[in-house]
Amino acid sequence: MYIRVKRMKTTYFIQCDPTEKVLEIKQKLNVLIDQPVNDQRLTHMPSGEVLEDSKSLADQKVENDAVVALTLRKDDNKFEEVNIVRPDDFCQSRDAEGGSW
Amino acid sequence: MTEMRKEDTVKLISAEGFEFVINKEAAMVSQTIRNMLTSPGSFAEAQHGEVTFPEISTTILEKICQYFHWSLQYASGKETEFPIEPELTLELMMAANYLHT
Repeated sequence: MYIRVKRMKTTYFIQCDPTEKVLEIKQKLNVLIDQPVNDQRLTHMPSGEVLEDSKSLADQKVENDAVVALTLRKDDNKFEEVNIVRPDDFCQSRDAEGGSW
Repeated sequence: MTEMRKEDTVKLISAEGFEFVINKEAAMVSQTIRNMLTSPGSFAEAQHGEVTFPEISTTILEKICQYFHWSLQYASGKETEFPIEPELTLELMMAANYLHT
């Protein structure tokens, strides 16, 4: 399976198994973004549940195609807020037209 | 499962500048991307592992990335449906045509 890890305007498609631990996902992200696993936090969206390193994806109901937010530790040692930028969706603009078709 | 290597990923960039980092093998489901990444010397994309699609919107590009991964899973025997929202159909078909997917 794969999960979609998102931060700001970037999405990482990470291939993984349900039995993998969250820590292993962070190790994979470390290869891509050069941030130590301790400075990464993964949050299951849209529930906002913070995922625990020692538990598996399946344990925490993270399934194929799931969206997981990545946040990083800031200089003051706290984690940043979840920040996922969405595109200005043409679906929304279409709704605004009031169903003209 | 598999070890993560940065060289094995590519970055696809949408019209709005959103980035999708995906497995190279998945990206090569697209014949167009395969040609860009494998033809020697002809594309700058091959060196940087980055491909920009000024004509493809973020929503469509994400759907395409999901399709690439679904396609790999399907090829390895996991037969599931690939859901497509009706409002995306036309734009998705145009992008698929361009990508030879």
